[in-house]
Amino acid sequence: MTHTLHRRGTRESLSEDYVMLCLPAVGVNNEGHAPKLKKFLEIATKYDPVNIGTIKLGNMYSHSKEEVVKAAEAVVHAVFVNQGQVADVLKDLEKADLGMSVVVSGIFEKVDECLKKAGLKHHTANFSLGIWGKTERLPSNEILEVTTMCGHAMVAANLVREMVKEIKAGTKTPEDAAKVLAPQCACGIFNPARAAKLMAAMAAK
Amino acid sequence: MKIDPELCIACEACLPYCPMAAISMKDDVAVIDDDECVECNVCLKSKVCPVDAFAFEMPPYPRSVRHVFSDPRTEHKETKIAGRGTEEMKTNEVTGRFKRGWVGMGCEFGRPGIGTRFRDVDKVAQVLAKHGVEFESKNPVTFLMENRKTGKLKPEVLNEKVLSAIIECLYPIEKLEEIMKALKEVAKEVDTVFSVEVINRADPDGSYPLRKKLDQMGIPYYINGKQNVGLGRPKADV
Repeated sequence: MTHTLHRRGTRESLSEDYVMLCLPAVGVNNEGHAPKLKKFLEIATKYDPVNIGTIKLGNMYSHSKEEVVKAAEAVVHAVFVNQGQVADVLKDLEKADLGMSVVVSGIFEKVDECLKKAGLKHHTANFSLGIWGKTERLPSNEILEVTTMCGHAMVAANLVREMVKEIKAGTKTPEDAAKVLAPQCACGIFNPARAAKLMAAMAAK
Repeated sequence: MKIDPELCIACEACLPYCPMAAISMKDDVAVIDDDECVECNVCLKSKVCPVDAFAFEMPPYPRSVRHVFSDPRTEHKETKIAGRGTEEMKTNEVTGRFKRGWVGMGCEFGRPGIGTRFRDVDKVAQVLAKHGVEFESKNPVTFLMENRKTGKLKPEVLNEKVLSAIIECLYPIEKLEEIMKALKEVAKEVDTVFSVEVINRADPDGSYPLRKKLDQMGIPYYINGKQNVGLGRPKADV
């Protein structure tokens, strides 16, 4: 489960991409965890996330936000586009003292700034060493910047290409195209706001 | 996954949704290449088909591993965790899985978006085993090993294709250079891609010894990553 780790992009683009996860440790503190994950999502939704999700149900582009919050179980996710939101959520989580594990994905130093504002410290890190092996089989970097926002690879490269064609043809706005991609990522870690910007840039070429 | 040819209206709407590009048109009907299909269910769950022509039935073993590894909504029956891996560092403050002085490593085959046959996973697992790594006992790939000392996978799964599969292992930080060299060599022999990740517990001053080591060795890493922020309880002694 490293689904939020290998997101690709420039520093500028990744500066608008933060994923927060909340989960119990199976066999240690998972008894009665669902209400705590629900509380996490309630806190997250106060700060206008661009996505929330819980893997067994889906995300806010396949269901309503209320349905997602109600179905919180196992592991829940929320995506934000700026550091202020992340710091505010972390501050509330520190006060709420849920006892569940929380992970933040994003540019390391930017996440650390958020942690500092919330009076927290990082505990353990997961670093991506990139893609190895037959890299000539990969789609273009532009496509990867979009598809890697779903670490389970549920967002197909061909679907991104199709959406870019539609944006170019004027049959879809970048935002509507992103809303076609977002439901495919069941966890709700896909960032549609960033995807819209990336696809608009591709279509403009 | 199957498409009912009697129902298909050849609208082609489903074609771009398949992460493996395994759906094509033949004689005015959408067909799935069974050998390339990883049973991820994206086509079905997308609800893109206007006539509900897709139907999924859990295939028998060994083909069943395609679905278990490729659809993250499926819970692995032994680990009780959905998806292809474990909680790894996400709950480290509670489980204490990754202690100071150790490196957790994941090699995620087929990612991003290429898919992998287990024969490539097997190749790399055997190389890592020779270097004495400890395979994560709760990882779904480890369950497919016929021998955890050699890393050898069960022969019947080798040709099965999945969207991705992760080898998760642990070794002392002193072994990092040796493991990276071995990985670099075996990477030339696989027919797919794999994303590599390394995990490290922060020192009391907040620094990551692994990061220093990667810098010294000239191994590049992304500017972004994942950090556990230590809010879980009860706390493990790590």
